[in-house]
Amino acid sequence: MEAEVKDKIVSIEKPEIIAPPDWKPVIVGILCNWCSYAGSDLTGTSRMQYPPNIRIIRVPCSSRVDPWFIIKALQTTADGVLISGCHPGDCHYISGNYYARRRFLVTKELLKMVGFHEHRVQFSWVSAAEGAKFAQVVKKVTDDVVKLGPLHLYKKENFNK
Amino acid sequence: MDYSKEIRDIAAKLFADGKIDVFVGYRMNGFDDNQVPVVITDPKEVSTLVFTEKSVFNLTNYLKTDHTRGKRVGLIVKGCDSRSLNLLLTESQVKRDRLYIIGIACEGVVDDKGVKMQNCTECIVPDAVVFDEMLGSPRGKKDYIVNADIRALAEKGLVERREYFEEIFENCIRCNACRHSCPLCYCAKCCIDQETASLYNGSNTASSAFHALMTWSLHLAGRCVDCRNCEKACPSHLPLHLLHKQNEKVIFENFQNHLAGVEEGERGAFYKYSLKDPDDFIM
Ligand code: SF4
Ligand code: SF4
Ligand code: SF4
Ligand code: FES
Repeated sequence: MEAEVKDKIVSIEKPEIIAPPDWKPVIVGILCNWCSYAGSDLTGTSRMQYPPNIRIIRVPCSSRVDPWFIIKALQTTADGVLISGCHPGDCHYISGNYYARRRFLVTKELLKMVGFHEHRVQFSWVSAAEGAKFAQVVKKVTDDVVKLGPLHLYKKENFNK
Repeated sequence: MDYSKEIRDIAAKLFADGKIDVFVGYRMNGFDDNQVPVVITDPKEVSTLVFTEKSVFNLTNYLKTDHTRGKRVGLIVKGCDSRSLNLLLTESQVKRDRLYIIGIACEGVVDDKGVKMQNCTECIVPDAVVFDEMLGSPRGKKDYIVNADIRALAEKGLVERREYFEEIFENCIRCNACRHSCPLCYCAKCCIDQETASLYNGSNTASSAFHALMTWSLHLAGRCVDCRNCEKACPSHLPLHLLHKQNEKVIFENFQNHLAGVEEGERGAFYKYSLKDPDDFIM
């Protein structure tokens, strides 16, 4: 199930960078505790398969996600970021996800402007009952990021040499 | 646009009536025809005050310093400055009854070379929106225009934009002047500084600049009033407005024409929501 890496994957933002043959994308997933995290749990307990490239971070609500977290993930290890929360109207704290989606739109557009492909950061609403949807979403994000190649922009470690 | 005399008279009267403890204004910098902000506590010094189209700085930034904390303050605000003051009031950073505000119906300010600043040519709210006294004749609100640089950048391809911004982030020396000069960045402890805790992260790499400037501009999204204090302070002359104007555009177009600080009592765009906000980008 691990995302297949074909030969000669180039980084979309920096076409001069070619992914090493053993490259595996790292997706940072920031999931709201009450829906998406429970949803991912259901995916596991119902033994559905999804790419293991995702590293999950649990937050109390999608509105806990400061745009800073996304920037920080991209600056450190992530090749892609997935943020997932409760469907509109279903937020455990009633309106957290309405506030959150405003920030997400602006963050996404700003990242696009400074030269990140728009598929680097993706968002989804996944409820606790949508185990299958969660598997699907992770699959889609991973496939997208595999196509984009490694993210080589502003990576901390590239400056540490 | 020269209100130097009016401002000296008002300031002298405020001191004489005992209405203020300090006055924040502009004076000549003493070696060329540019100006610097000045905080006056001695009534004798009001004669040094000036106000012309060279009065570029946003003085509301001084409301977050010890010069003015807890004191009664006289202050000059142009249109954009008054919007940031509006936000500071709404966000409970200053008390209105401690301020005496001289609002300017602004005709635009010029940079060091005498060229009208870009934000002034695109200004939406030239007249002060909060004031006790207004100087000049108000000309009313204008229509929102998308920033010319943003329009030009949007035409470019992904790789080209990446190269363009990479150069900007590379040239940042991480001095934090932009953050300190922004009136709306008043957090006692900024999250960006968490990075400076380790020696390496505080260094001026493009990576740490990317982290700092992106986080900073996203924390100001929906609040930035385009006064360009940050840009004037930047020693590397980086076009910081690109980040802010991009956010402003997305916010204006998607969130009911929101413009920061124009209405009294209105908070930033991220402090409210509408059920009709765009959702189609979310899976
Ligand atoms: S942006 Fe508007 S209010 Fe501010 S200095 Fe320019 S013209 Fe004046
Ligand atoms: S970010 Fe810059 S332009 Fe925006 S309010 Fe702060 S100082 Fe003014
Ligand atoms: S003022 Fe300019 S050089 Fe200094 S941290 Fe801000 S962007 Fe970087
Ligand atoms: S609790 Fe899930 S988005 Fe708020």
